[in-house]
Amino acid sequence: MSTKTPSKLEKILSAGHLAVTSECGPPRGSDMDSITKKGELIKDYVDGVNITDNQTSVTRMCSLAACIKLKLMGIEATLQMVTRDRNRIALQSDILGAAAFDIYNILCLSGDHQSFGDCPTGQNVHDLDSMQLIQTARHMRDEGKFLGGDDIKKPPQMFVGAAANPFADPFEIRVPRLAKKIAAGAEFIQTQCIYNLDKFEEWMRRVCDRGLHEKVYILAGVTPFKSAGMAKFMKNRVPGMDVPDDVVKRLSDTPKEKQADEGIKICIETIQRLKEVEGVKGFHIMAIEWEEKVPGIVKETGLYPRPEV
Amino acid sequence: MSSQTIAEKKDTDSVEIPRDIPEGWSPTILAFACHYCAFAAADLAGVMRLSYETNVKIIRLPCTGKLDHIYVMRAFERGADGVFAAG
Amino acid sequence: MIVGTQKPMEEIWEMIKSYKKVLVFGCNTCVAVCHQGGNKEAEIMASMLNMHAAQEGVEIEIQHSGIERQCEHEFFEPAEDTIAGVDAVLSTACGIGVQFMAEKYANTPLFPGLDTCFLGAVDEHGVFSEKCQACGKCVLGETGGICPVSRCAKRILNGPCGGSTNGKCELSKDLDCAWQLIIERLTALGRMDDYEKLAELKDWSFDRAGGPRKFIREDIQV
Repeated sequence: MSTKTPSKLEKILSAGHLAVTSECGPPRGSDMDSITKKGELIKDYVDGVNITDNQTSVTRMCSLAACIKLKLMGIEATLQMVTRDRNRIALQSDILGAAAFDIYNILCLSGDHQSFGDCPTGQNVHDLDSMQLIQTARHMRDEGKFLGGDDIKKPPQMFVGAAANPFADPFEIRVPRLAKKIAAGAEFIQTQCIYNLDKFEEWMRRVCDRGLHEKVYILAGVTPFKSAGMAKFMKNRVPGMDVPDDVVKRLSDTPKEKQADEGIKICIETIQRLKEVEGVKGFHIMAIEWEEKVPGIVKETGLYPRPEV
Repeated sequence: MSSQTIAEKKDTDSVEIPRDIPEGWSPTILAFACHYCAFAAADLAGVMRLSYETNVKIIRLPCTGKLDHIYVMRAFERGADGVFAAG
Repeated sequence: MIVGTQKPMEEIWEMIKSYKKVLVFGCNTCVAVCHQGGNKEAEIMASMLNMHAAQEGVEIEIQHSGIERQCEHEFFEPAEDTIAGVDAVLSTACGIGVQFMAEKYANTPLFPGLDTCFLGAVDEHGVFSEKCQACGKCVLGETGGICPVSRCAKRILNGPCGGSTNGKCELSKDLDCAWQLIIERLTALGRMDDYEKLAELKDWSFDRAGGPRKFIREDIQV
């Protein structure tokens, strides 16, 4: 696959390297320090940093501003965009704003329902859904036009990504759904956190059977557990998450003070195993408020140093 | 609201204002009785000269199935303290 | 049909308590089916308000009446005199009926006795659920007869989202994922190939987004 955008992430993937991306949540305030600190911590260990867009519907600093900040620090940023909070005017407008600051990656999502966040009485928008946001970003880039049909002066050069959850139900449509996202124009995929490796491998096998791995770069999502409590919470409370009992048990059986280390160990083992899986083109390490652990994970899994492109 | 089941009105919506009970007070109770059973039983009690409290007033219905919500409301509106449906 | 639920008594009382003669006015069609605003419920509500007034020591005359439908002129005729004889009307119709009356009786204060909730069906006795949002461009032909606009919490046209678990919505274990139902139905109909067709960007101008809607049949106008 030849590159279509100036995205560093796209260059690395198209050169055949395993890509590594990570993720930061913007602060609940207007102080950029936390973002710059997180950025500094991980910048030499990853090829791009996703900035979440009001994740779990909790109001935070906007993804766009934090992405710009990272970009100004010389860090490749991926703008996460949910369709929950903006209509098609605002979505297109923000894409242009991001492009103006040379942000070359976008991840298109629908977003958690607002009832999970701090404004449960708010309205949601969902003028478009995530598939249609993918189409919109591609349309703006490839056709150089707005949805309304007018020409865009200097169209945005975005490498367009989407999320995939191999574990959500019904399992049968997880691969057709990926095919649909690819048909909509998704060029890279970052998956939901993987704990059930057998199920993920089964999904990947079906993805490869349909040849979809040739059409899209799939980055396997991993999140290290900090504790057994976190594992239980993710298992029971986070929608669409599949945490097998043996993983929870492995953490529960570990003394409390060593659970964090065990969590990192599980994460490293996951990456090592998934490196061998056909179709996996990289890793998306979501160390939730634990960014300082990312360098270690990248080093331990032999993914360091990052390639220069 | 899309996800919520709209719950029935809560107890806190009650219009009732609790008051202190005066001494020597006894409640007025209205009994809605089915012609074929409860009312017949009351009749039989009369025949057998059994006595019951005088604050119970009986209204005969052809069947308790005839008991409409509004009969109960009207009873309370007009000062009944309790309603007894028997059938 | 339109489903509504009665407002809390306290809220109703606050709206009407300053009037001397109030009519609780039922609408005996949609909101009677959900046992909230029919003529019978209006009578019970009037009775409760009467008792409340007595307890509060407020002198207020509460009447009750009702018609078959509060959204069409023809049905009002038998109630004209009753309406003319009161200071205010508490309508237990849906929001349409309340507004229709407010326009029709420009000098009579009108208050809503219900919160109008949704367009729904009677799933079983006593259970009502939303089935349509009147978006103005029906997609049921593509979605196996199950509406993602009204029954998906994110009205996703290319679903399901990642939050669908065991066939239930991320909002609640009691709420079916509309897309799970759509997929089951498409599977049953042997139409799963249709699932991979991308739903186009929806034209919401036929929805509320396009402003208040109107439909005119000139040929039947008189």
